[in-house]
Amino acid sequence: MSENLEKQSLDNNPDPNYWRSFKELYNDKETIEKKFHEFEKGVTDEFDPNENLSGLSRRKFLALLGASAAFAGVACTDYRDKGEIIPYNIKPEEITLGKPNFYASTCTGCNSNCGILIKTREGRPIKIDGNPDHPVNQGKICSKGQASILNLYDPERIKSPLRKNYNVFSETDWKSVDDDIINVLTNSGSKEIALVTHKINSPTTLKLLNDFKNEYPNTKIYSYELFNDSIRNSAWLKSYGSGNFPLINWNEAEVILALESDFLGADENRIENSRLFAQSRDVDSKKFNRLYVAESGMTLTGINADYRLSIRPEHQLEFVLGLISELKKKGVVQIPLDFNVNIYDLAKKNNLDSKKVDYLINDLSAKKGKSIIYAGNSLPEDVHIAVNLLNEILGNSKLYRKDSASVDVLPISNYKDFEELVNKIKNNQVAAVIHLNSNPVYHLPEDIGYKEVLSKFENVFSLSETMSESCQISKFILPINHNFESWGDYKTRTGIISLSQPVIMPLHNSRQLESILLTWIKKDSQSYSDTIYHDYLKTNWQENIYPKYSTSISFDKFWYSALHNGFISFTENIDSNLNFNYGAVKFENIQSSNSGFTLVLKESYSLGDGRYANNGWLQELPHPVSKITWDNYAAISHSTAKSLGLKDNDLIEVQVAERKLRIPVFVQAGNTDNTVVIELGYGREYSGIVATGVGFNANKLLSKNSDYSPWIYKNVKISKIQGKYILASTQEHHSFDIPREQDLHLKRHIVVEGTVSEYLRNPAFIKDKHQIEHESVYTPFEYKEVKWGMSIDLNKCLGCGDCVVACNVENNVPVVGKDQVLKSREMQWLRIDRYYSGSPDDPKISTQPMLCQHCDLAPCENVCPVVATTHSPDGLNQMTYNRCVGTRYCSNNCPYKVRRFNFFNYRDHFRNGYQENPVFALLNNPEVTVRSRGVMEKCTFCVQRISDARSEAIRQGRKVKGSDVKTACQDACPTSAIKFGDINNPEEEFYKYRNHELGYYSLSELNIKPNVTYIAKLRNIHSEEL
Amino acid sequence: MNIDYSQEAPAVAGRLTLAEIEELVAKPLDTRPDKKYFIALSISGSALMIGAICLALSFYYGLGLWGNNQPIGWAFDIVNFVFWVGIGHAGTLISAILFLLRQKWRTGIARFAEAMTIFAVMCAGIFPAIHTGRPWLDGYLLPYPNQHSLWVNFTSPLLWDVFAVSTYFTVSLVFWYIGLIPDFATLRDRTSSKIKKTIYSLFSLGWRHSSRHWQHYEKSYMLLAGFATPLVLSVHTIVSFDFAVSILPGWHTTIFPPYFVAGAIFSGFAMVVTVLVFVRKIFDLENIITMDHLEKMNKVILATGMMVGYAYGMEFFIAWYSGVQAEQFVFVNRAFGPYAWAYWIMVSCNVIFPQLFWVKKFRRSIPVMMVVVILVNVGMWFERFVITVTSLHRDFLPSSWAYYTPTLYDFGILIGSFGLFFTLVILFTKSLPVVSISEVKAVAEGAQPSHHGGVVNA
Repeated sequence: MSENLEKQSLDNNPDPNYWRSFKELYNDKETIEKKFHEFEKGVTDEFDPNENLSGLSRRKFLALLGASAAFAGVACTDYRDKGEIIPYNIKPEEITLGKPNFYASTCTGCNSNCGILIKTREGRPIKIDGNPDHPVNQGKICSKGQASILNLYDPERIKSPLRKNYNVFSETDWKSVDDDIINVLTNSGSKEIALVTHKINSPTTLKLLNDFKNEYPNTKIYSYELFNDSIRNSAWLKSYGSGNFPLINWNEAEVILALESDFLGADENRIENSRLFAQSRDVDSKKFNRLYVAESGMTLTGINADYRLSIRPEHQLEFVLGLISELKKKGVVQIPLDFNVNIYDLAKKNNLDSKKVDYLINDLSAKKGKSIIYAGNSLPEDVHIAVNLLNEILGNSKLYRKDSASVDVLPISNYKDFEELVNKIKNNQVAAVIHLNSNPVYHLPEDIGYKEVLSKFENVFSLSETMSESCQISKFILPINHNFESWGDYKTRTGIISLSQPVIMPLHNSRQLESILLTWIKKDSQSYSDTIYHDYLKTNWQENIYPKYSTSISFDKFWYSALHNGFISFTENIDSNLNFNYGAVKFENIQSSNSGFTLVLKESYSLGDGRYANNGWLQELPHPVSKITWDNYAAISHSTAKSLGLKDNDLIEVQVAERKLRIPVFVQAGNTDNTVVIELGYGREYSGIVATGVGFNANKLLSKNSDYSPWIYKNVKISKIQGKYILASTQEHHSFDIPREQDLHLKRHIVVEGTVSEYLRNPAFIKDKHQIEHESVYTPFEYKEVKWGMSIDLNKCLGCGDCVVACNVENNVPVVGKDQVLKSREMQWLRIDRYYSGSPDDPKISTQPMLCQHCDLAPCENVCPVVATTHSPDGLNQMTYNRCVGTRYCSNNCPYKVRRFNFFNYRDHFRNGYQENPVFALLNNPEVTVRSRGVMEKCTFCVQRISDARSEAIRQGRKVKGSDVKTACQDACPTSAIKFGDINNPEEEFYKYRNHELGYYSLSELNIKPNVTYIAKLRNIHSEEL
Repeated sequence: MNIDYSQEAPAVAGRLTLAEIEELVAKPLDTRPDKKYFIALSISGSALMIGAICLALSFYYGLGLWGNNQPIGWAFDIVNFVFWVGIGHAGTLISAILFLLRQKWRTGIARFAEAMTIFAVMCAGIFPAIHTGRPWLDGYLLPYPNQHSLWVNFTSPLLWDVFAVSTYFTVSLVFWYIGLIPDFATLRDRTSSKIKKTIYSLFSLGWRHSSRHWQHYEKSYMLLAGFATPLVLSVHTIVSFDFAVSILPGWHTTIFPPYFVAGAIFSGFAMVVTVLVFVRKIFDLENIITMDHLEKMNKVILATGMMVGYAYGMEFFIAWYSGVQAEQFVFVNRAFGPYAWAYWIMVSCNVIFPQLFWVKKFRRSIPVMMVVVILVNVGMWFERFVITVTSLHRDFLPSSWAYYTPTLYDFGILIGSFGLFFTLVILFTKSLPVVSISEVKAVAEGAQPSHHGGVVNA
């Protein structure tokens, strides 16, 4: 046997037996045994803790040592730190750790399609800023755009394709869904394929839809917007025969009359409107426009009016024709038409001060060609035609912009088209209904019957980021990429095409909407690739856009520079040959009859048409006028409330024809009597845990045929019903009845106001009135180098709240929820205070952004027992979170009450830990500490940006300058009302505002020396009123 | 009624012999607690547990369980703190100041009042510790050397509070204990139980009633009394600085230190009367804690109540006289704003009802004084509520005004503090002599050498 082995091992076989010693070669038993043990005996042994340790082997010793070290290590570990830090193994070329990258893209939050810069850190988007080069928004972006980053990281986004089985959605894979849908599409025969979408603004998407149509010829596109300017545009078409309503040079208008229009607030294009509007509210050039607003509900535009006329919406036509008649009577304008409307009768009917009407008429006649009359989207066509006429005869068409005009890539469908669709579905003429990121079940008026007919229809496919009412009745839900994960191009203006590019890989198993359609066009579920739409887009640009641009640079260069810039601009002729068609001016029923209340349905300031309902930051952004969060409500006037015996929070039933809605009442000062204003976008049923149960779905009141306009209804009934519903406001309601509580903001010099004429007479009138030099017992600290300060121009500040959301995003401010807002515990570091003065029927409103004033003699600092809040040598009032024990003494002693306390761990408290989802961690700004429970926090003047600028300055070998730093609120402010910089540097632009003749400190009598200067608000009103 | 002012009224009534006094005071310690005692203990113990549970939940979930909000950073937490510190003041005043002033009548009530001081300060001390957002880091409030070179902020009145209250507690405890030593010795000598003997021996520190012991005792007691006296003024002065040093209208008032001290004595005496009325009845101490004692305390209540009333008026006057709009508003708002109910509870309980004590009959009537002193307790709690909450709820900026509504947790913790106080009081009555045996003996008739043969006109 051993011989055999021996022989075998010596043989030259293919698996040779290597030997290390002769003993091994000759198969010594002991040696063979040893071969199976790596170590000598005694070096190792089995571990047995019961064994006597004196016989401790080396291995056991090491094992015990290791174990004790491991146990000690684990025991000493901070159990709260559950995070993982995964470093880059290989550093990506474009990423420097700790340095943000910015990518130009386009916001798709509304149809303005503003240019944005997406700030990414280590590959994840953390902040949205406006693209400073973009001609439309010029570096500014609204609250919705700011907050859209939360939608990207919404843990409730749909994570993979869903298929409905027996009314339950279950996850499935893309292939099976695509195959099934392609099967339905190819077998549609002569039946229609309905694509339901929001307004299409992308030329490439439109091309793709046309390709889709070519592939499936029975395709029909239904595009809709709940709020749109179709009436304005059709009136324009009737008045001038071509084009869209032009863009307006608001900055050149000296007198503006807005009719039921919220052009500074909820209307589209408001970022550009606000910027241009504020350019002529400028204390430097001493240029002040005068804004008249004639409206029913108090809007953001209304609170900024110099004169506000409270008029019922159905009287607007009468009002405009009355103006024309009066101007004609005075010989200001000559027209062949005669309307015979007496404006003073109308004024009497609406309890208007006839003096205001006189002022308006005088201003319009004095500023012929330098004024603009602007009617709101919701007004009927007649009013728009009358307004076009008035602008025409006053010569105001000079203010229509000639360089750029709005364009519709694809005009939207109307309610009739949808009715046809419903009929076709009923008659079994439709193969499939595909919702392209749209939610018609929620948006369309119920009397179209869309939801009803669709819930019985089988082939409904929804392409959506999140669950929605329309997804709920679909067979398949296909998750689509967020805008920040997508490619796209947008054209809403002549001469500009914006581009959007993905800045992060899709977080979930989602695909871009256009890529899904491309897969279906190719009729092959395997044809999908990540770059499929990118290639399509690029090809389209190469074939269709690049040639028009007529440039000598190569397409690649052109493409990459367009991507880098985020947009391309080129000259595109617009039809500027305007001839007013007087034949269009035919008005019937000038005197509108109304036997009941008037209902005005408005777009929500923060939620839009409901698309942003699941966004906590926006839900918690206080309404710019009422300061209510987390709900919509029926706003009624003071005297209407009195006559109906209604108080805030009482429930009413609003009835329009047969449609009813229960909703709480809010008494809004300045609203028109017998008018109810309700904002839409609330009352979502299926949109995630944040939005569920928030507000009331007033879309139920919409109808396909209105007696006035799609958003304004007459003959509305209101009745008080049992019960109450508490609305959460961030500001205590102002009492108009108690004299000692009135005008405190003026009496205490919180807000200082004057008039333009006072200012022009004596530019130093504010200082003359209010400046008192106080003595201090302390020797002031000398700030020798940079000292940070802020100035806020109350003339430019509109009170929109964009800065509030920008601050939330920049500084990781949590959402606290309605219950906490009700307890007055909101966490926003920056708030917009709103004050009323005057009567509840015609209030004067002041707004004021309020944030930490970084006082030199900060009252908060000396009362903190643990020195958790201190002053820096560059003038900042600092918070040291680690040191704070949470006595709240600082907050008690802060006269501005800008400190915010973490009563709970709000990330855990809100909606059962919703904000503690791991996806949320990606959202946080890594430069800002996430505060724990029991800690005080407040505005830091964006100290992380200051530090960043300082380190950059050091790197460049120079000292930091005031202009190096821009705070988040300053970046966001659409009117540039916020300025930030170095108080000690006279060469900077900021210095001028810090030491402005209109500058004042809020509560200056306290002598705490704030570093925030407010520029006093000037009202452009007639001085004889004083 | 004819009062003979030529003679000092006897501090001990009923002509008790020295042995009887000792017997009377030591009796509760020698007998087993009865059913009523356990009922009382279970009630106060339940209250304490309610507080403990509410507190535990507050620690677990955060201060958000309370009603405090953005303008109203302090509410029940600090109200309770100031209330309990105030309650403590009567004890120190009685034991230290009246001792220095040679007021013999203090002997019957001093021990009990001192014990209440200690228990009240214990209740008070809880609140600054638990009112913080992160109570586990309360150690930061102490100036301990550390490698971060972090120090406390000596300009913050809240820090002064830490020192004032801890000093006050320490001095009161030592003072109380020194007074107890001779009594411990007496009890040691009386008892036959071995366990008790060991405990009493330990605490009596070898006291043998020798003259030398008495001499040292008297000296140290006098010194400690002298030491405790300024504390009566300083502690509540410093507590008032929590408010007065701030810039908040309604808080920023120079009248606060004397006003707070007067208020503290006012509320402290009211609490002492409340408890003593029961104690003297239950433990048959009517001869030691006589109606005269109660009447004297009621007089103090009347006097301090008037001082407090004066302060209320003066605050309004100064607000008007200062011409500061915010200041004027705060006071008008107190009386007529959303918290007017609290203000008028305070005024009626603290200023109006004590006026009954102008009438001697009411001063000496147990039912009347019970009603008044309980109202004073309520009123003084509301005084702190009015100062703390109504000043905060509407300060400078109308935009940040809000209303404060306490939650069940706030009430639970308030109840818990009463539970703690009464649990300690109840335990005290059965474990330590509620009246100072040695001191009462010293003022009993015939105890002191006298020109008239030791007995004052029998």
